[in-house]
Amino acid sequence: MKSFLSLSIAFAAINTNLYSAEAGMPQLDPKYWASQAFWLVLVFIILYISISKFYLPKIKSNLDNRENKIKEDLENANKFKEQSELKIKEYKLILDKTKKEVNKILFDSKNALDKDIQNKKEVIEKEIEKEILKAQKEISELKKNSVSSIQNISENITSNIIENVSGDKLNESSIKAAVEEISKKNLSKYL
Amino acid sequence: MANNPMQQFTVHKIGPEINIAGVDLSFTNASLFMVISASLIILLLFFGSKEKKIIPSKIQLIAELFYTFVAKMISDTAGSKAKPYFPFIFSLFMFVLFCNMVGMLPYSFTVTSHIIVTLIMALFIFIAVTVIGFIKHGFKYLSIFVPSGVPAVLLPLITIIEIISYLSRPVSLSVRLFANMMAGHTMLKVFGGFVVSLGILGGWLPLSFSVALTGLEILVAFLQAYVFAILTCIYLNDALNLHH
Repeated sequence: MKSFLSLSIAFAAINTNLYSAEAGMPQLDPKYWASQAFWLVLVFIILYISISKFYLPKIKSNLDNRENKIKEDLENANKFKEQSELKIKEYKLILDKTKKEVNKILFDSKNALDKDIQNKKEVIEKEIEKEILKAQKEISELKKNSVSSIQNISENITSNIIENVSGDKLNESSIKAAVEEISKKNLSKYL
Repeated sequence: MANNPMQQFTVHKIGPEINIAGVDLSFTNASLFMVISASLIILLLFFGSKEKKIIPSKIQLIAELFYTFVAKMISDTAGSKAKPYFPFIFSLFMFVLFCNMVGMLPYSFTVTSHIIVTLIMALFIFIAVTVIGFIKHGFKYLSIFVPSGVPAVLLPLITIIEIISYLSRPVSLSVRLFANMMAGHTMLKVFGGFVVSLGILGGWLPLSFSVALTGLEILVAFLQAYVFAILTCIYLNDALNLHH
């Protein structure tokens, strides 16, 4: 590969040598230097004037416009952001307030209910107590009555039994006394 | 097309001879390609600035990219004082870039491959920068040749070196561009000649070289325009802001 490359370079060098005599470096030929300088200056001046007078100001204003627009948009966005943040704060405040109110209402109504329940309970308890007292009174009355009626019944039974057994009629006061004596002894077992 | 790789650089007259005061100012192929490059720039900028869209069209985007590219280059290297010279440096950059790029087209002529063209531009820049320096700073501008913080023993030597480097600016600026363009185009031509002389069997290797070199040359065309413009900015910076 290397020998091939060097061969080709040598070949090309020989080839170019055949022609190189006619030109050398055209850049160093002063024939057209004045012409090149003249046209360069002319073209460059025209280019410079048109660029500096027309195109650069246009492009600059274009770029400035865009920058301003972006700045404006960013400012607007920031403003809206601040506004929305304010709104969020307001909303949170309202929310907190309502929460407090709700809690208060809940607390109040609970208290009221408790009181009501307590009152009603007391009333009912009083009534129950009254009923119980009444019932106890009735019971004790019934007991007293029952003792005297039991005595009467037992006096009657006793007099009947004595009549039937002996045929005699004992006086009532002695029977009463005897029954009373026995019932005093035995009734305490049942009452 | 002859096999001589230098033949692409010959200047020849187009149309009638124009002779003013004994000087031959005829319109040549070099002049033609200067006009073509300038026209292309103007076309690009015309269509690039025609519509004022917030969201740019493609050509508007290209024009604005060039604008911001050059504007950034100037503000980075020469600061805000160089703003009045922005149109000149923009024109210079665009002209050199388009001449280089148009020169990359086959059968075209590369305006910037001629030392006279680059030398005139470089000399103009050199003289303009020197004049600006003296206008802005008066004789204090000469302090550019005397760097601060140099030992007194070395000062004469350093000053001489600084003067030589300052005076060689137009030469280096012009030769850099001219030599780069000429060398690149000559090399492309030589490899093109290899392709022809080696024929269908051996021509593939130089052809692939040619393709790669074309890519390289397009890079060089852009790079040299950039270097030319940025060196102008740096020289302008020296004249506007005396840092030494």
